[in-house]
Amino acid sequence: MAESTTRDTILAAIRRGKPDVQPLPATIGFAPNMASDQFADTFLTMVKNNGGQAIRVTSLDEVNAFLGNEYDLTLPVLSRVSGLDISNFTPAEDLRLLDDLHLVVLEGKVGVAENAAIWVDEPVMGIRALPFITLNLALVVSEKNIVGNMHQAYPRIDTSVGFGAFIAGPSKTADIEQSLVIGAHGSKTLTVFLLADAGH
Amino acid sequence: METASLKHAEAAEAFLRDEENADWHNETLWFVRSKRDRAAHSLPEWEQLREQASQIKTHTLSRLDDYLIQLEENAKKNGITVHWAANGDEHNRIVHSILQQHNASKIVKSKSMLTEECHLNPYLIERGIEVIDTDLGERIIQLRNEPPSHIVMPAIHLKKKHIGDLFHQHLGTEAGAEDPQYLTEAARIHLRQKFLMADVAITGVNFAIAETGGFVVCTNEGNADLGAHLAKVHIACMGIEKVIPKAEHLGVFLRLLTRSATGQPITTFSSHFRKPGPGQEMHLVLVDNGRTRQLASPDFRNSLKCIRCGACMNTCPVYRRSGGHSYHTAVAGPIGSILAPNIDMKEYADLPFASTLCGSCSNVCPVKIDIHQQLYKWRQVLGEAGAVESSKKMGMSGMDVLFSHPWLYRFAGRAGRWLMQKFPSLANKPSLNPWAIHRDMPKPPAQSFRDWYAEQNKKTNG
Ligand code: SF4
Repeated sequence: MAESTTRDTILAAIRRGKPDVQPLPATIGFAPNMASDQFADTFLTMVKNNGGQAIRVTSLDEVNAFLGNEYDLTLPVLSRVSGLDISNFTPAEDLRLLDDLHLVVLEGKVGVAENAAIWVDEPVMGIRALPFITLNLALVVSEKNIVGNMHQAYPRIDTSVGFGAFIAGPSKTADIEQSLVIGAHGSKTLTVFLLADAGH
Repeated sequence: METASLKHAEAAEAFLRDEENADWHNETLWFVRSKRDRAAHSLPEWEQLREQASQIKTHTLSRLDDYLIQLEENAKKNGITVHWAANGDEHNRIVHSILQQHNASKIVKSKSMLTEECHLNPYLIERGIEVIDTDLGERIIQLRNEPPSHIVMPAIHLKKKHIGDLFHQHLGTEAGAEDPQYLTEAARIHLRQKFLMADVAITGVNFAIAETGGFVVCTNEGNADLGAHLAKVHIACMGIEKVIPKAEHLGVFLRLLTRSATGQPITTFSSHFRKPGPGQEMHLVLVDNGRTRQLASPDFRNSLKCIRCGACMNTCPVYRRSGGHSYHTAVAGPIGSILAPNIDMKEYADLPFASTLCGSCSNVCPVKIDIHQQLYKWRQVLGEAGAVESSKKMGMSGMDVLFSHPWLYRFAGRAGRWLMQKFPSLANKPSLNPWAIHRDMPKPPAQSFRDWYAEQNKKTNG
């Protein structure tokens, strides 16, 4: 069967078989289960619950100092956070060479307090594979960009980008006897820096 | 016919023979179920959230044609090539033709129950393509040449000893090594090479969004992303029921999906694909394979709301005690037992009977599918179609008579309790009650709730 015919056959079968139109819910989503002054603390707690490391900072200098302590910055490092100039790695055309990356630092655009999911999109990544292929990932999120729950997150993210992901922790699996193992395929660690709003 | 409809019971019996493993399976899934409960209770609006999810899905099904057309239109605008497949065979041919266009011989695939349903792997392997499943659980069962036994935890039927032996044989890990950390690291190294060498990545789709023409793929391991971003071509395969109207609806579904599945607040990676990456090609395959037939059936169309969280399996006393493979279909457990007979009524006639109709599945389902009621309806349909093996049919038509005659039901209950107290072995006789194999019937209560209630009433009133 030609594909165009298949399309028409499927659509015709749907039209024959579908029920009468049912309404969408009058409202979608719910208000957060916490006051907005609890967003930051809840977010940091959830980052840890997801297996990540959560650090409060007041400047990028602190981020820089922390990363310098934690990681060997002479290994391949790529930072795409402006003002955090610790990159020593230039991506080549061949994406496979990204496999060498030891640390990638990106800006998280929105953080969700309820589950510590952090929105990272293509403009922030530059290369889509970056946050997944690197051994260690660090995300810097501004406190003003923390929202309560997923319903508050969607209006804040740009869904017109080619790609974006909510990242909630380092890669993990429990496929062997339900034992949690951190570092399945993607980054083995996630460090989240919560950057206090200027003036605080 | 007889043999087809006994498959589940026989396979379940075999599974139960390894008592230690069967107990572990039962307890582990119950533990996952209790994690789900904690996650659900952490949200005061849980029940309303389920209601919203259910309504969004019901609405979408009632306008499925419109949303699929909108999805296609927007996806095309985004530079995604959209394909339609009437059945598994056409789906496989479409995927294979894309591979041929690119001379692709090495494929990485993340978890997709749809490609399991369509038997894509054997189709491609027969044609000389290397297909590597990259989800750790799926890779394990692929190396064992087995189908997944659970839609979220594909290798839940195995113990670490099995996996240690398997990896020793295939990946060269130390003999006898069983440490999950060590075994996972070995798989990571092995699969990293596969990701880097793949020509094409295939993924499933959790949600496709009509409004944006994009789709969302959820994983904890990051395997869908590593595959899709590194390969030149990304093929995403979805059943037509996976479409939702708007991006804002994702907020509802993503809050429910993993809380229901594993008790996590969200998957580690919820990836929103909208356009092909620079220099890449992206394909979206929309598959019917019986779904329009299911939609046309008022009794069963609700099953199309499923978001494949697996909660109904984790909670099901039959699934936990019989193992996923006993269902001999891609999607096991209560929901699979509704979906499978729609694809092949004869082959899967036994599955709607692999249930106690306790209703636990319907209670946990995040999109409020009336699972146990659909299982009951299937029993009637199968009985009418003559697709039921005789001993079960007798029990069932007996039940029909009981349910339509309330006085007889009350009497039968009392008579049943009397009989079971006097002759407990009768109900435990496999030939009379297929569910009694390897299961001791519970002790009948001395008094039924109905009798007790009547007595209490008499006491208070009289
Ligand atoms: S039927 Fe409901 S509980 Fe079962 S897998 Fe589907 S969504 Fe989850």
